[in-house]
Amino acid sequence: MSEVIRIFVEKRDGFNVVAKQTLWDIRHNLGLRSVEDLRYIVRYDIEGLTKDEYDKAKGIVLSEPNADVIYEETLPVEDGWRVFAMEYLPGQYDQRGDSAEQCVQLLTQGERCKVLTARVICLKGNITDEEQKKVEEYLINPVESRLASLDKPQTLDMETPVPENVKRVEGFIGWNDEEMAEYYGSMGFAMTLDDLKFCRDYFRDTENRDPSVTELRVIDTYWSDHCRHTTFLTRLSEVEIEKAALGSVIEDALKEYYATRDEVYGKDTTRIVSLMDMALMGMKSLKKKGMIPDLDESEEINACSIEVPVTIDGKTEKWLVQFKNETHNHPTEIEPFGGAATCLGGAIRDPLSGRAYVYQAMRVTGSGDPTIPFKDTMHGKLPSRKITTGAANGYSSYGNQIGLATGQVVELYDKGYVAKRMEIGAVIGASPKENVIRETPMPDDVIVLLGGRTGRDGCGGATGSSKAHTESSIETCGAEVATRT
Amino acid sequence: MAVVLDKNDVDKFIKYAETENLEATAVAVVTENPRLTMNWRGDTIVDLSREFLNTNGVTQVAKAFITAPKAEDCYREACPEQLCDLPFEQAMGENLSRLEVCSQIGLAERFDASIGAATVIMPFGGKTQLTPQEAMAAKIPLEQGETDDATAMSYGFIPAVSRWSPFHGSAYAVVESTSKLLAIGANPLTARLTFQEYFERLNDVPSRWGKPAAALLGAMQAQLRLGLPSIGGKDSMSGSFEDIDVPPTLVSFAVAMTKASKTVSAEFKKAGSKVIYVPVPENKETLMPDWDKLIAMYKAVYALMEQGKVLSASVVKEGGAAASVCKAAFGNKFGFAFTKILTNKELFAPLSGSLVLELEDGAQLDESVVAYDLGVVTDDGKITMGNSSIDVDELIEKWTAPLEKVFPTKAECPEVEVEAPLFTERNTSSPAIKAAKPKVFIPVFPGTNCEVDTARAFEKAGAEVETLIVKNLTQSGIEETIERMEQIIKSSQMITLPGGFSGGDEPDGSGKFIATTFRNPRVAEAVNDLLKNRDGLMIGICNGFQALIKLGLVPYGEIRELKPTDPTLTFNTVGRHISHMAYTRVTSVKSPWFAGVEAGDVFAIPVSHGEGRFFADLETVKQLAANGQIATQYVDLSGKPSGDIAYNVNGSICAIEGITSPDGRVLGKMGHSERKGDDLYKNVPFEKDQKLFESGVKYFK
Repeated sequence: MSEVIRIFVEKRDGFNVVAKQTLWDIRHNLGLRSVEDLRYIVRYDIEGLTKDEYDKAKGIVLSEPNADVIYEETLPVEDGWRVFAMEYLPGQYDQRGDSAEQCVQLLTQGERCKVLTARVICLKGNITDEEQKKVEEYLINPVESRLASLDKPQTLDMETPVPENVKRVEGFIGWNDEEMAEYYGSMGFAMTLDDLKFCRDYFRDTENRDPSVTELRVIDTYWSDHCRHTTFLTRLSEVEIEKAALGSVIEDALKEYYATRDEVYGKDTTRIVSLMDMALMGMKSLKKKGMIPDLDESEEINACSIEVPVTIDGKTEKWLVQFKNETHNHPTEIEPFGGAATCLGGAIRDPLSGRAYVYQAMRVTGSGDPTIPFKDTMHGKLPSRKITTGAANGYSSYGNQIGLATGQVVELYDKGYVAKRMEIGAVIGASPKENVIRETPMPDDVIVLLGGRTGRDGCGGATGSSKAHTESSIETCGAEVATRT
Repeated sequence: MAVVLDKNDVDKFIKYAETENLEATAVAVVTENPRLTMNWRGDTIVDLSREFLNTNGVTQVAKAFITAPKAEDCYREACPEQLCDLPFEQAMGENLSRLEVCSQIGLAERFDASIGAATVIMPFGGKTQLTPQEAMAAKIPLEQGETDDATAMSYGFIPAVSRWSPFHGSAYAVVESTSKLLAIGANPLTARLTFQEYFERLNDVPSRWGKPAAALLGAMQAQLRLGLPSIGGKDSMSGSFEDIDVPPTLVSFAVAMTKASKTVSAEFKKAGSKVIYVPVPENKETLMPDWDKLIAMYKAVYALMEQGKVLSASVVKEGGAAASVCKAAFGNKFGFAFTKILTNKELFAPLSGSLVLELEDGAQLDESVVAYDLGVVTDDGKITMGNSSIDVDELIEKWTAPLEKVFPTKAECPEVEVEAPLFTERNTSSPAIKAAKPKVFIPVFPGTNCEVDTARAFEKAGAEVETLIVKNLTQSGIEETIERMEQIIKSSQMITLPGGFSGGDEPDGSGKFIATTFRNPRVAEAVNDLLKNRDGLMIGICNGFQALIKLGLVPYGEIRELKPTDPTLTFNTVGRHISHMAYTRVTSVKSPWFAGVEAGDVFAIPVSHGEGRFFADLETVKQLAANGQIATQYVDLSGKPSGDIAYNVNGSICAIEGITSPDGRVLGKMGHSERKGDDLYKNVPFEKDQKLFESGVKYFK
């Protein structure tokens, strides 16, 4: 095994925009005027390169001679400066490290080397330990990053313990409600206790065996509010409206809803009244009346789809226009960059899955006042400023990189969004209708997963966003940010 | 992304994925037996019946109680409290500096608005690019051919209105979204909607369940009355943290087909035109829209739009009619004179969905529709009502200040210290070997995203295009790529390095993927042969420019080792991505790429980059200027190279946007000249076509 090589890269004066911004941020937003100066250095630990290959890479890939200064193995720091380093949590996707590995490989045309990156911050000024800690906490979101050691590791091999075989939940089908409640409390499920009991009955009566842990996790994901719309499909046994002057107009609307149901389903319908039903009733009624002739319907549940004529060089063709909105409120709240980036990713995925070429996006967000000082941030929350700037960075970085034009960006400010940020992406795509093949899946058809690899940060996204959140969420959730497309 | 394939198509599909440098793996098979099974280490770890999964678990039961809103608290029709008692001069400024109203340009300009060369109106219009637009419009994306067909998309929602009444708030969210479609010239009565609901956790409290119920009933009524269906939607019901809740949120998104050529923007167009106010007709008892009258209003305004008689249009939202007028004035720095004295309520109430229309001389709205004369566009740079007036510049200051520290727009920008005189001498040497249809090579790296627009621009200009997707998933893929590159370059007359984010602009700098690949000895040799022996051309735009400069191809015309004093491109001084229409002047026409334009011509070119700041020492800049290598510069509205961050958007030294090799045959520029076409960026002035691609092709004829 080759040795780990360490290199520090620092932007020269005039190029050090990030250092200047971070200093300004700490002095003005965090309010630490005792920090007089700040250095921002990128640290690379590299394994798997020969000396010769490394020498080539350092001036082409890892640094640019006309903008950077490099320090090999050790970082010179003057007396009176404080130093700490930050790195992503193991398993979190690190684009810098990944790109460095790919780029070096293009250069060497050999095996891909291993690169771990960190950001080193040096602070100058009369700074106390406590103040340094404040800076660290301000810059590090524990959901995705941590303080990094200043010592060079012996190896970059990640310790990946071999997972145990999947366990069965012994005795599950025989548990009483009390035992069920205890187990429910220990698992952090998104589904309800009633759901879990429903599972018990199923395994007891139909499968005649205990479930595996994986089965319960699969069910939990499949039935999460994110996927099954638990709330929207809840049966409303009663809808009552306050008797008051402006109540009557709502009362009329409710009556109209009931009457429209009768019209659409027939008077003796057994369909439940639910929020979902209210959400769909307008469309169902208009469809029944033949007022949506352009609606393109299929068995696929991807995006809204309409059939439109498009005239190209004087010739008219049938096209499908597909559009979709998506929120990533919870993930953006706890990990703004990744959460907002994957909001757009999730929105794109739907029309893309409908075989449309996605060409424009809109972003509508809701935030608390981002101008309030850091010190007034509610305990257990990231500051609104940090969330909103991090989210803007994440969403734009995804959209700009994937090459999607964003035609409108609007943020709505309301104190309520301090409870949880709103991060909506809406996208629109199109394709010639003749390009879209839709068939019913048949036995022996194969399901293929297509795309790029992702970090561990996506696992549990659907259930994470469906749970209730309290002050401790930010530490225990980890970045449940949903998968990348 | 998961796809279901016929088993006979799997191999072919995976091969296609490989050519796109993507991973594709078969993970499962559809079975007759309706069970979901999963095996791991020889153990069946999941074996569930589809029927059970499809039950979706236990259906919950709840009760809803809808609280009736009070007419006197109606947010939509009230003047915001803090403005009620202020005099006009003060209230106008205060209104614009409210968080709900103030400028978000620093936020929005991080987002690339022009890629795809289909954007009909930029998010901010007018010569100052300050007027926010009501909706977005893009032409249907095509690889070949031209179309006037475009989509329009908008949103509608005001949190405080829905907090007052989720029922009314949602109905008006729909109306706001359809009015916005109308404002950019689309027919609102052909809209298709999709909703985003976002509510507090409902727990078991009927009055909490009442909020989404009321919102959905309001939205349903809007759909039924307007005949416009919501054909999709998403719900998120987790907006609570301890005892705080998100406002009852139902955002309406509206989509309609429209024509690029008929698209209207929000900024005032000319002094002297009449501006009218068209309210959303309302039922005074229910405070809901009078739907029939609203439909009539939409029809009447759309008829005017179709005749091309609406010069600009905006929709009232937070900030009221006053904010609409001010923002419309900012874009072209017009003034505005109100016809009569209005109350603060009339000026500032967020009567969402109402329209402010600037009309062509003599145009008249159907008389059966209620509308009021609001005022006249003026050229005195003041907003005037009666005897009071305020400078538009002062209002712009008020409007842009509040979020400047969160989403900055201002940053350091160096003064233009070196005068680069117009360089009019053209390099007229022509290649030894002519080509009727010259071939251009466009390599596509992981993260490149401008190759489609670039290829289209070249094909339209008459070139043959060969793109190559760089494969780097395996060692053999890289080897194969290098070999193909060498071959294609040998058979090409031109190389284009397109824009994008090769390698995600990482590790910590842009263009490194491209530059590294081009330093491969075989590729480098092929490039040198093309440039030195075959009189070829090369162009790099944005990320491609970054790569050219990192290779030395500009300004030296050859791949070489870099010195610490060589020019470079680095992070914008504002410290973030910037998307904007930059005004650039052709300073030198030495390069064959500029054969179709004259020195001194000014264009509006889309820029979209995080690292576009050109930097070199003054000595180098002087040499480049003397040798005619400064191709293009950022200029102000008078056409003068600018040291103002509003024009020199990335803070480049001497306002340099593009440079060439000594003989002009290699051009690197930041601006996306390939993002051009009919009816694009209609709300920004100046010519947008630099004829670069036509000039490149012509050079070989």
